[in-house]
Amino acid sequence: MTATTLPVRSRPLAGHPAALGLARLLRVELRRNAMPFVLPLIAVVFWFDSYRIAATLPPLWAERLFYIFGQGHSLIDFAPFVAGVAAWMGSRDGRRGLADLLATGARPRFAVQFATWAATAIWAVGGYLVFMGATLWALGRSISYGAPPYWPLAVGAVGVAAFSAAGFAAGAFFPTRFTAPVAAFGAVLACGTSSQIGFSAPSGWQLILPTNSNNNFGQDAGVFYQFLPDLPIARVMFLGGIAVALVALLGVPVTAGSLRLRRVVAVVSAAGAALAVTAIVLASTAQLTAYGTVIPALHDAASDQPISYTPVCGNAGIRVCVQPGYRPWLAEVTAALRPVQTQIAGLPGAPARAAQVATLFTVGGPGRGRGGVGQIAQISGQPAVLHLPLGALNLSGAFGQVRTDFLDAIKLQTMHAFVTGGSGYGDPAQTAVEAALMKNAGIPLATQAKRALPDSPWGDAVVGLPGNGGYPAQIATAATRFAALPAATRHAWLASHLTALRAGRLSLAQLP
Amino acid sequence: MNVEISELTRRFGRTQAVAGVDLLAGPGVLGLLGPNGAGKTSLLRMMATVLPPSSGTLRLLDRDPHSYGPRREIRRRLGYLPQNLGYYPGFTVAEFVEYFALLKDMPPGRVPRAVAAAIEHVGLGSKARAKLRTLSGGMLRRVGIAQAIVNEPELLLLDEPTAGLDPEQRVAFRALLREFGQRATVIVSTHLVEDVAAACSEVTLMDAGKIVFHGTPDELIAQGEGHGVGDAPLERGYSAVLAAARS
Repeated sequence: MTATTLPVRSRPLAGHPAALGLARLLRVELRRNAMPFVLPLIAVVFWFDSYRIAATLPPLWAERLFYIFGQGHSLIDFAPFVAGVAAWMGSRDGRRGLADLLATGARPRFAVQFATWAATAIWAVGGYLVFMGATLWALGRSISYGAPPYWPLAVGAVGVAAFSAAGFAAGAFFPTRFTAPVAAFGAVLACGTSSQIGFSAPSGWQLILPTNSNNNFGQDAGVFYQFLPDLPIARVMFLGGIAVALVALLGVPVTAGSLRLRRVVAVVSAAGAALAVTAIVLASTAQLTAYGTVIPALHDAASDQPISYTPVCGNAGIRVCVQPGYRPWLAEVTAALRPVQTQIAGLPGAPARAAQVATLFTVGGPGRGRGGVGQIAQISGQPAVLHLPLGALNLSGAFGQVRTDFLDAIKLQTMHAFVTGGSGYGDPAQTAVEAALMKNAGIPLATQAKRALPDSPWGDAVVGLPGNGGYPAQIATAATRFAALPAATRHAWLASHLTALRAGRLSLAQLP
Repeated sequence: MNVEISELTRRFGRTQAVAGVDLLAGPGVLGLLGPNGAGKTSLLRMMATVLPPSSGTLRLLDRDPHSYGPRREIRRRLGYLPQNLGYYPGFTVAEFVEYFALLKDMPPGRVPRAVAAAIEHVGLGSKARAKLRTLSGGMLRRVGIAQAIVNEPELLLLDEPTAGLDPEQRVAFRALLREFGQRATVIVSTHLVEDVAAACSEVTLMDAGKIVFHGTPDELIAQGEGHGVGDAPLERGYSAVLAAARS
């Protein structure tokens, strides 16, 4: 120690810029925050759980981000770590035995705690945004069309802030070393519960849960129509409200600051809670439309405008056009349609061209929340056009779907649209003819039923038919016989009997 | 007077920690002596505005700390070193002192110079960038002193400040106390009578929550002449006063 002379005191104690002091406090907290130490661990978990899987999915924004944003995996990966570390930071002063010393600070206790939380949240949200920025960049390199939706990104960022607020508040009010692991476990539990509720709740207030994937991430969102921001906006309100309510709660205790400050933060906390409740109420008014979930109070009609585009086309004997976002699958679509076209070309009702149509959201029952389930190809118009909702199919690369499955699904849907139409399964004669034509188009009879069940082409209508992985014996026999006919004979029979067959006026015994 | 205390009490459940203390203190160094459990720390904590009194009146720096506004003004002018100093292991010495300078609401523009001066005062200039977790117990105590003096307090409350300091540092610390005592009220709670003898202009002896002696160190020494036990004159005065109070 040196006994140097202290500088002469000359300090204006009042009126100095409090914000600058708070900023300096924040700078110290940012420098010495625990959150950066867990970001590498979160990165590993995020890579393993979110990015690694999303990168294998088909190159469409809706496909790849459904897992990360739609099911909320990015938030699930962050939440436990963020809540745990925030609780660790929140309990720091109590754990370190600094309560007395901090109590002598002139600056309101709430302001100091706010700076500590803000530093924690800045690291957490910053880390989230950096990870997601890198992820979107990496995933987007192979996506040739459209842009990612940014509202779900905001949901994730605000969600991270909300978990940091919850953890910090828990740590501040219960400053023990056990609070952090309990907070982390609580976050796991919250995310798990949110996901489970989401799986079984395609409507109602449960839509507000950030990991509820229902009705907000349609296959063709961002391709044929916009990603509707209604539900993400409500979720941002919900999570933001929770974050504000919990952080402001720190300023309510008598030791937090002046009476005026405590009153203000109590009002802010109540406003945050009110915002969260309002968001829940708004979510419960949500309606499912063709383009996704609409919340009337938040909806902007401009979001309903379809995305204009110039289709890209190929040749499969007929002209085949798809939305440019589906360019990577154009070759597969033409490859699938070419053998089908060989079977039906020149017959009444055979399509003169094929065009992709948007897969729309449908009102589904339990377990049918995702857009497009049950939509099938249809042939209509004069000249006839094959309308293909490719988004309703599992594109090759989607969750284990291989190229052959994708091609066969197109053949099945097209043949069904040609012979039977509609979503019904068809009568035995129609089924046998379809089966025969598909066999000649390259799908062995034995595998057709597997292809048909359970996803396509008839959706849920096929339950119970054609049986355990195979057609009933009479249908299989008739189909085999019809397929074995010379092409010209089969073609001629179809030309003269298709109208009766489609009308359901032919029995199995009347097939040649 | 910077400290005006009248009939001050503090009760923890059934325990009467401070039982009707009257004390006036102006600029200078006041040593607060007493056995364990005498109520020294409770009295210091009340003067530090950490602990509200159960009854009695307390005025610090001509303000009543009961209300928020005056309490905040007092805290801006207060330095406090608690008996058990907690710390953030990941902070550097400079960051820790800066942190508390900002908590004391110092004008941000003055903070860097004040932090550097405080650290120099406690002889830790070369350790300014060292993490607290790397420091010895004595060094940490000096960091605690640095944070207490960083705002050049008008009222400096130190609870066992020399615990863990080596003899050389204690000598330097006494010089620091004397220097601060020239323009501020410094109240030092300690068990070490040598510190009191070397640095204090006044001494207060507490026992069982009450003040049993208040005067100069010489007056305390005089109380021990022919009485008391101890190696040093002040120790003899200390033990004599305590014995008289207890009898």
